[in-house]
Amino acid sequence: MIDPGKALIVFGIVTAITAALFTPKYGLFAQWKRARSGMKRALVEDALKHIYDYEYKNINCTTESIAGVLLISTDEAAELLTRLSAMGLLITNDNGVKLTADGNSYALRIIRVHRLWERYLADETSVPPTEWHSSAELAEHTLSPAETEMLAAQIGNPNFDPHGDPIPTPTGEMPPRKGHSLLSLKSGEFALITHIEDEPEAVFAQLIAQGLYVGMQVRMIDRSNERVRFAADGEEIVLAPLLTNNLTVAPITEEEQRITAPLDSLASLKIGEEAHVLSISKAMRGQQRRRLMDLGVVPGTTIRAEMKSASGDPTAYAIRGATVALRRQHAAMIFIQK
Amino acid sequence: MKNRLKKEQRTTTAGKESILSSANTLRWEIGEHVHDSLIESIYADANQIASRAVTLPDGKPRFDFDKKLDSLITSRWFGFPLMFLLLAFVFWLTVEGANIPSALIASLLVDTMHPWLRSVFVLIGSPWWLTGVLADGVWLAMAWVVSVMLPPMAIFFPLFTLLEDFGYLPRVAFNMDSLFRRAGAHGKQSLSMTMGFGCNAAGVVATRIIDSPRERLIAIITNNFSLCNGRWPTQILIASIFFGALAPPALAGFITAGAVVGVATLGIFFTLVVSWGLSRTLLKGEASSFSLELPPYRPPQLWQTLYTSLIDRTAIVLWRAIVFAAPAGAVIWLVSNIHVGTMSIAEHFINFSNPFGMLLGLNGVIIIAYIIAIPANEIVIPTVLMMTVLSTKLSGIGNGAGVMFELNEATAVADVLRAGGWTVLTGLNLMLFSLLHNPCSTTIYTIYKETKSVKWTALATVIPTIMGIVICFLVAQIYRLLFV
Repeated sequence: MIDPGKALIVFGIVTAITAALFTPKYGLFAQWKRARSGMKRALVEDALKHIYDYEYKNINCTTESIAGVLLISTDEAAELLTRLSAMGLLITNDNGVKLTADGNSYALRIIRVHRLWERYLADETSVPPTEWHSSAELAEHTLSPAETEMLAAQIGNPNFDPHGDPIPTPTGEMPPRKGHSLLSLKSGEFALITHIEDEPEAVFAQLIAQGLYVGMQVRMIDRSNERVRFAADGEEIVLAPLLTNNLTVAPITEEEQRITAPLDSLASLKIGEEAHVLSISKAMRGQQRRRLMDLGVVPGTTIRAEMKSASGDPTAYAIRGATVALRRQHAAMIFIQK
Repeated sequence: MKNRLKKEQRTTTAGKESILSSANTLRWEIGEHVHDSLIESIYADANQIASRAVTLPDGKPRFDFDKKLDSLITSRWFGFPLMFLLLAFVFWLTVEGANIPSALIASLLVDTMHPWLRSVFVLIGSPWWLTGVLADGVWLAMAWVVSVMLPPMAIFFPLFTLLEDFGYLPRVAFNMDSLFRRAGAHGKQSLSMTMGFGCNAAGVVATRIIDSPRERLIAIITNNFSLCNGRWPTQILIASIFFGALAPPALAGFITAGAVVGVATLGIFFTLVVSWGLSRTLLKGEASSFSLELPPYRPPQLWQTLYTSLIDRTAIVLWRAIVFAAPAGAVIWLVSNIHVGTMSIAEHFINFSNPFGMLLGLNGVIIIAYIIAIPANEIVIPTVLMMTVLSTKLSGIGNGAGVMFELNEATAVADVLRAGGWTVLTGLNLMLFSLLHNPCSTTIYTIYKETKSVKWTALATVIPTIMGIVICFLVAQIYRLLFV
């Protein structure tokens, strides 16, 4: 018989090798997959996207900025630009580089796939927001035009990605850029978040962690060079100005109700109490949102808390004649008026 | 005339273009949440129509009885004890109630019909191998599956359906949800899991009640960790031989029951752990949502329930099991009777796989039994006994090569197994491996039918098998380090 001690040691080695190969994110397999995406076509497409993005925002694009975004050396970036001009995708002038008509439509195609994919992840899957962008970075280079249009049709031809960016139409149309930075608001002014920039990833993760989402109402309280104090859906948030730069806002319409105090959520309803639904938080997306709306949770619906489960969560609510149990995390995203 | 036509054409093209361009600008104006507004307006319209057309009778508050019952069933103190009592009662009724019909069916199909069938075959002059394959192989395998499987299922499923029909089971899911939420699963998985204690194939079908794709996949893949009724007899037999026998006779029954319940509880633990792991890795991206409707209580419809649970659940599952068990019976007979050189194929394989089996604290007989008994866990023990007799050349026990048998006395089984070289470690690891191995082929087929995905079916098959191999291996090495 094999010596048990030796057998255990062999087992430990095999486990360690398997772990080294297949650990998500850090394993060799995951690294190989990531490396494959850094190939030539991906570089070309990423460069085009970056140049387009800067043109859209009216920022000058330089060899250095490309090198910085694509994580390559300036020499490589210069070489890449030469190749792009040789392909007739861009022209170089005194102010930097500019996309040709061909380059423009190529870039828009890539951006369309990227944003459609992000929207797909947000609405149809449970992939967390911090991973939308990196997943789309891979998908944009692999999806064929036919697959892209199938995806678009499947998710209802959306116009905006989950960060609030417009998705170019198949013919390459994009609306003019609107909105301004959160920093431009005066104290006491109301606005709606229309866009949360998803790069750099660390900043985006921090903003998501604060509970911010596109469609949220904000009110500037005050700001200094060190910090910005504002209310988001009535809840006070303090951020560094650098972070707020990633938030784009637009003025709210006249008929929209101004939120001055934190909204009550369904989770705060006590057993036996009744309330009207004000809205479902825009942070609740995809299948869960559709399910709630199918159950009749729409503005104006009366909801009564019926009973708590023996373990305290979920809670059962009377909604339009039916008794439906909801988890606390979801009830907290339904705003009510008692 | 011509000119006028051209002019009109020009104006219509201009009109078309202006419409298109305004549509293009409006596309970006309507915003992201146009679907929400549509649903809201549909509800508003429906409300308006309903308020004009529907009148509600007024009277005392509805569901008075429901509310009282609900407050008891979901109460902090009584909710869980009530649930455990009720489920324990259902299991007890199943086990106790199934004993007598099981023995009756076994004596009819195995003890009476099998010899009779053999004699018929001999009478019509069929060659010995045909008699062997059909009467000893196919017939016995089917007879075993029917006698072990049918009575518990015919009792368990109607009871379960009655509880469901009454409205109690959704409350169980409601109470259990917070535990399953922490494992990344749905409260209703507690129901499909419990159903799995009856039969995994039925448990997999029962996951249809889970309407969220990710949580449903989790429930399907982990259902195999519920000890099904094809495995309970194995557990009880082995526990009484290897653990019950260790204790003084007065405590033997208690220790046996404790060991079996321990294995079943370990299964629930693995269900939760694997659910947790899956929801955070492989199934992280699958769409997920939660809502759980608690229907009003209804008096159960007894006859309809009996009919549907017997036809929909019992009959279908039993039929599939028979279809899969029949060829397995033929294979078992053939591998034990076709000789290559001086030994049968089965003996060759047993010798070949024995080192691997020993490494896992099992043996070659168990490995081959689990491979050819993939179609049905019910025939594992009969196969193990037959193969042990075959490979150790014991005489006077059993009915010959390829003819599965069972012994009425646990002590007689123990003698055969000890003669085959079994130790406490073999018994323990067989119990663990019986819990953690691939689902039976009926369940695998059902998983494929439910998921329509080769990937998830393969995963549901491979995960428990790898877990079983790894855990048996570790237990064997640690046991040998400590006790040998």
